[in-house]
Amino acid sequence: MTGAELITGAVMLAALAAAPLLPGLIQRQKAYLQGRIGASVWQPYRDLWRLWHKRVVQPSGTTVTYLLAPAANAAALLAAILIVPAAANAPQFGVGHDALVVVGVLALARCMLALSAWDTTSSFGLMSAGRDLTFAVAGEFLLALVLLTAVLPVGSTDLPAMWLGASGSGIWSHPAHWCGLAGMILILLVETGRQPIDNPDTHLELTMVHEGPLLEYAGRDLAYLQWSAAARHWVVMLLAAGLFLPHPAGTLGGLAAVLGWVVALTVLIAVIETMTAKMRLLRVPHLIGAAGLLALGGVASWILGAAL
Amino acid sequence: MIGLVAVLGAVVLGAGVVLPVTRVSLAVALWLQGAGVGIVGIAGAIAFFGDRVAGSGFRAGVHPGFGIDPISGFFLVVIAVTALPVLVYSVGYIPGLASARAVAGLGGGFLLALIGVVCARDALSFLACWELMTILPAAAVLIAKPEVVVRRAIVEYLAITHLGGTGVWIAVLVLAERGVLGGASLGAQGSGVVALVGITALIGFGSKAGLVPLHMWLPRTHPVAPSHLSALMSGVMVKVALYGLIRVAFTWMDPAPMWLGIALMLVGAVSAFGGIVGALVQDELKRLLAYSSIENVGMITVALGSSIALEAAGAQTWAAIAFAAALLHVLNHAVMKAVLFLSAGSIERATGEHRLDRLGGLLGRMPWTGAACAVGVLAIAGVPLLNGFASEWLILESVIHAVTMSGDAAGMVSALALAVLAATIGVALLCFVKLGGLALLGRPRSEGARNATDVGLAMRAGVIALAAGCVVLGTFPGLVFAPLLRLRSGPTPSGTAAGLWLPGTGGLPTLGLLIVVGIATALLLRARGPRTEPAPVWNCGQTDEPALAWTSAGFSSSLLLSARGVLPTERVLTRDAGGGVLAEVRYTQHVPNHFEALLYRPLQRVALRCAHVARRLQSGSLQAYVAYFVALLIVLLIFARVVGA
Repeated sequence: MTGAELITGAVMLAALAAAPLLPGLIQRQKAYLQGRIGASVWQPYRDLWRLWHKRVVQPSGTTVTYLLAPAANAAALLAAILIVPAAANAPQFGVGHDALVVVGVLALARCMLALSAWDTTSSFGLMSAGRDLTFAVAGEFLLALVLLTAVLPVGSTDLPAMWLGASGSGIWSHPAHWCGLAGMILILLVETGRQPIDNPDTHLELTMVHEGPLLEYAGRDLAYLQWSAAARHWVVMLLAAGLFLPHPAGTLGGLAAVLGWVVALTVLIAVIETMTAKMRLLRVPHLIGAAGLLALGGVASWILGAAL
Repeated sequence: MIGLVAVLGAVVLGAGVVLPVTRVSLAVALWLQGAGVGIVGIAGAIAFFGDRVAGSGFRAGVHPGFGIDPISGFFLVVIAVTALPVLVYSVGYIPGLASARAVAGLGGGFLLALIGVVCARDALSFLACWELMTILPAAAVLIAKPEVVVRRAIVEYLAITHLGGTGVWIAVLVLAERGVLGGASLGAQGSGVVALVGITALIGFGSKAGLVPLHMWLPRTHPVAPSHLSALMSGVMVKVALYGLIRVAFTWMDPAPMWLGIALMLVGAVSAFGGIVGALVQDELKRLLAYSSIENVGMITVALGSSIALEAAGAQTWAAIAFAAALLHVLNHAVMKAVLFLSAGSIERATGEHRLDRLGGLLGRMPWTGAACAVGVLAIAGVPLLNGFASEWLILESVIHAVTMSGDAAGMVSALALAVLAATIGVALLCFVKLGGLALLGRPRSEGARNATDVGLAMRAGVIALAAGCVVLGTFPGLVFAPLLRLRSGPTPSGTAAGLWLPGTGGLPTLGLLIVVGIATALLLRARGPRTEPAPVWNCGQTDEPALAWTSAGFSSSLLLSARGVLPTERVLTRDAGGGVLAEVRYTQHVPNHFEALLYRPLQRVALRCAHVARRLQSGSLQAYVAYFVALLIVLLIFARVVGA
């Protein structure tokens, strides 16, 4: 393993610890934009620390599913972090670097959380889980097409190859890339559960999408789930930065650019969250579907452009 | 040697079919059937894994011939891997049915017919076995459940598969008549013949495989059949129909034209999405599973179509991969659908309930069946670590590469198919999370579910063996995938069987993922720390009212509501307010079946009108029939005179 590979690998492993910074950054910037003082960027770590010293609960009548869901959720996100490369020379952690596998492990995490809601049969958890999976239907439709726009230039779903294919400036002359970028921004909001799709700050159970099943958890279980939500931010932001935002092909320059974009995306989310209100729930799949059609248009422009 | 083994297996299976007629214990007959299927499966495995051929090759004449080649071998393996656990399950399940002996015998005959279809090497044996494969399960279902609703479902099944089945007859007879079965090239017969064969085969085999719009029989017949037959019909019979399509498109047509690839991708994508949406709105366990079979057959068809498109565009490597992906999903879906149908049978027997909203809490009450069912649910939901994800990943990869490699028209269709499949997989997750949650988790929602206990040893053993198959195939997909790639001279996969490493992908290291996710989960569970005393579910401080429990319709309502534009739901809300007090609120929700209203009803009306006209000819008087014969004779003589001269 060369030195450059070591650096890339170290960045990816560091994300395991650094991921909670991303929601912290977003909250901090949101507070700034809204004229509040707000909590420190380290607040997610303080929350995790607090939860770590509390006891987990065991609702009566639940099965092994309730027990398994938080750990499996965090484990799936761990795998996702190891799959998504920070640069083209990302080392193998034994889980490959395939784009569709990332979609799969994210679905695994979602599936476990929804099953835990069924296990407790808590009405709020089930309401949220049903919505979460509904958004995921439209989300997977969009994500498949968005990833396809990044696959087209390289003809491979290998994420390091796609990372290289998106580097440099030549790619920006293709409309497909612009359509993909637009779709990816929406994916970012869907997967991380941000406004206008979902409101992570809500304390009103009736409006929850992602947070609902979390209501039944406490202690370290809840810590696992909160870390997973933060890790989801990292995974999707890194995908957006590596596949759709401009960066040089070299390792160090690329890493610096991609990490810079991840921070910039937290700013973008803070701005979007400050400027928009939550959408009507049943409208969300329509928005995502429309973005999917845009991405499909991008794919068409690529295929037909190549045929001309 | 392979031929001998296969014949031995068929003879043993045949003995098991005849035995229920005698007074010998039913279990002995079923074990004998199992042994026979197992031996045939071994013969198939030798042919498939060893790339060997036995028996006769395809022939155009009328002499009956049977043989095994690697493709037939693979389908024999699919039949055996599914049927063996199903037969073990039947040992415990069949004695509880009406006319157990007849059902056991006909079930074995059905297996023999399935084996016959994949081994037949001439047109007549193929068609004979094909018809037996249709009729025998219908007879078994009628005997096992002599109710009116079952009879209606079976009539529908026979009507649609026979009308569609004429396509099979036309395709196979044209192929035999033109000598294509004997080795002549189909392409040399002109594009008209190719089109005729392609379209008739698509209709004929497609109706039997349950492709939309000829699918309506499937969700009616499979749920009413006894569960072991549902498992075989949904898991194996629809795949054997695809075997016919595969033979036409990949053996006799080779190379198949591009339009067939595009047609298969379109039909497959519509079937996949239509099937899973149909599954989502069902509230009966087995009917939901039947609709999901349409979805999976659709996915397999998309992969077959992308293989044809890639081959026609000259991308040989990915054409072979797409073909292998389709066949791997054939095996995976057979195994997981058998798990689900068998556990549905166990659940029905243990609880007496078949509606999802009346189940619940069965993972704790039926630990073995429940655990196996949970594995099946996760596998078919397409989440990683199990076999469903492995083959769905391969299918999606095939379609993605069809976008990049197969030119503009096919590329655009592939992109559409990819988007539809992605949404399909999303709906499948919602649908099967709902199934798993309603059936296995939470609190029991009926008296039957509350008092359920796990079923007998044989029934448990059958589902557990199949669930273990899901895990093994999910961890080591390369074991089957590498020989599948050989069928169309694809690339030799690099790496081990514990993963799928293909050019143009980032690889799917199944074992690596299992280890990473497994170890991480185990460590996190260990670090979970001390816990409080068990307490009721918090539920935001509300009391846990069973009457307010979440239902099947409730869980999928947000999807149905936001898809109102394309999938209108009819909802009826009635309030009974007597004397100013709200006494009762009733809510029903129904998703109208457009295929039924727009396609089947008009066809049915036309058919009945024709039958009415035709009935006038059937006067019942002998003179009239003699007159018909004379008229026919005269017409034939004129015909012979005109054409013969």
